[in-house]
Amino acid sequence: MSVVALRLAGPLQAWGSGSRFVRRSTDIAPTKSGIIGMIAAARGLRRTDPLEKLLDLSFGVRIDQPGQLLRDFQTAQRPRRDRNGDLDWQSLPLSTRYYLTDATFLAVLEGERALVEGIDEAVRAPHFPLYLGRRSCPPAGPVVLGVSDQSLHDVLETWPWLASSRVQKQHRERVVRLATIRDAAPDETAVESIRDTPVSFDPNHRDYAWRSVVRDTVEVPNPHGVSDPAPEHDPMTVLGG
Amino acid sequence: MNRTLIDIHILQTVPPSNINRDDTGAPKSAVYGGVRRARVSSQAWKRATRVAFDDHLDRSELGVRTKRIVELLATMIAEQSPDLADRANDLAAETIRAVGIDVKAPKKTGADKKAVAEAGYLVFLSRRQIQNLAAAAIDAADAEDVPKALKAAKVKDLADRDHSVDVALFGRMVADQADINVDAAAQVAHAISVHPVETEFDYFTAVDDLNSDEETGAGMIGTVEFNSSTLYRYATVDVNRLADNLGDNAATQRAVQAFVEAFVRSMPTGKQNTFANRTLPEAVVVQLRDRQPINLVGAFENPVRELEKGGRVKAAAEALRDEAREIERAYGEQPVTTWVTRVGTDTASLDDLGENVALHDLLTAVGILVGTRLEEQS
Repeated sequence: MSVVALRLAGPLQAWGSGSRFVRRSTDIAPTKSGIIGMIAAARGLRRTDPLEKLLDLSFGVRIDQPGQLLRDFQTAQRPRRDRNGDLDWQSLPLSTRYYLTDATFLAVLEGERALVEGIDEAVRAPHFPLYLGRRSCPPAGPVVLGVSDQSLHDVLETWPWLASSRVQKQHRERVVRLATIRDAAPDETAVESIRDTPVSFDPNHRDYAWRSVVRDTVEVPNPHGVSDPAPEHDPMTVLGG
Repeated sequence: MNRTLIDIHILQTVPPSNINRDDTGAPKSAVYGGVRRARVSSQAWKRATRVAFDDHLDRSELGVRTKRIVELLATMIAEQSPDLADRANDLAAETIRAVGIDVKAPKKTGADKKAVAEAGYLVFLSRRQIQNLAAAAIDAADAEDVPKALKAAKVKDLADRDHSVDVALFGRMVADQADINVDAAAQVAHAISVHPVETEFDYFTAVDDLNSDEETGAGMIGTVEFNSSTLYRYATVDVNRLADNLGDNAATQRAVQAFVEAFVRSMPTGKQNTFANRTLPEAVVVQLRDRQPINLVGAFENPVRELEKGGRVKAAAEALRDEAREIERAYGEQPVTTWVTRVGTDTASLDDLGENVALHDLLTAVGILVGTRLEEQS
């Protein structure tokens, strides 16, 4: 098994796993369906094409810089051309869209070597342009970080912290704890189910299946850290316990 | 594979203004690099760009987005074939139904007996598509079974060919006929300021002209929120996908030029009369790439501060140049060509990236290169 690592950063991102109509939410981290969709587009698949092998990939994401939630309010208008040729605009229902601003994620996909290398190449030269969950959110800088033969778990644990140096300096500890969300192994317990496995992106019958995920944390070094991590808080020691 | 992608990077200063506001009337904003920035949403600037197309393209190349598609088609049928005028409304409704778009019969109220069927949502069709549909409707008019004749004429395909330039660039979504959706070939990012911005409040009073008492007070008072900023604007056009949508190399070339020009020159109209914030960019950098589009917004993650020597624009231009070079170095992502259109000495550092030309010459050069690359490919 091989893995490909992606860096997802930009002023705005939006990863929804349950949005309909005029209220478009975002999750706190990229969804598997969002990333598989991005890769399918990079490989030139149409929405109606079968996803096949891409569904065998394991997926994990690390929240390197959580960012902030942004509520955006959007009006829409429709143009109408008068008989004399002038444009006239009429208002349509308002919609609310949520975005993550200022966030950075490490996303990792694990699968067969050839498949993973194909993804790496496709993301470097995508057939359809990439975007971070919504078309108005192009990534800042290149996305792909490269292919390696580690496991998904190792990459999440060992990849250097991708947060900006400003954020790294704000954390004074030499080691930081980052949240991860990854596919559960078949025998794993303490899992959570979210409706986030893409079955079909066909807009006529878009379909997602349930996905078992594990929320965990990893510790990574902070290159700008100056102090030792605070000791575990254990009130029982005072009691000699 | 021979890919052609056009990245447009713009630095543009806008004076006190409220181009794009949220539901409380405050200018839109976003946090980036830990500080609050002015923001102008992509949809606001896309609309401004689309409106500006009127100045740069012939109307026959543009589309119409309307619920009153039946009425429009009926008018065209009646124009092309006056003897069908009486039946034009029904014929048009049948044709739109045959495309797969649901149209509802109008409510017959006393006042408006001539009301025509409407689609339940906005339908975005090009002028040529509407003409083709009108021709098909006229041909089918004499058939015994009109719906069957329309189906035989493959009217659905007619609605999926000869897209207008704005549909090809910005896409089209048809709710109940997803297979005639068009994927947008242009991508526009939200514009954000390169520096921290706080919203300011302008307190105003309005005087009653006819009230001549001495201690009148104000006729009304209020506040307007505004900010002023130097924005980084980014958009990219995927020329290959645009050519897929338009199916014509010459039209693609014109569409790319029109998009670059309209995106550079346009300005959303929010509070325009209050602030008269019509500016043109200080700097436009257009890069033709052959692998992936690259957004250089990372240049401004560290917010630009005003320098002792030179202002924000100078610092922003230098940051943009450094980011472009750094990405070339670290990722080997070398653009095929870069053109720069810029104003003043503060933006001089951008000349390191490419040839400094006037916008008119930039558009010509982009058009020629896009045309050549499309020819090579086909």
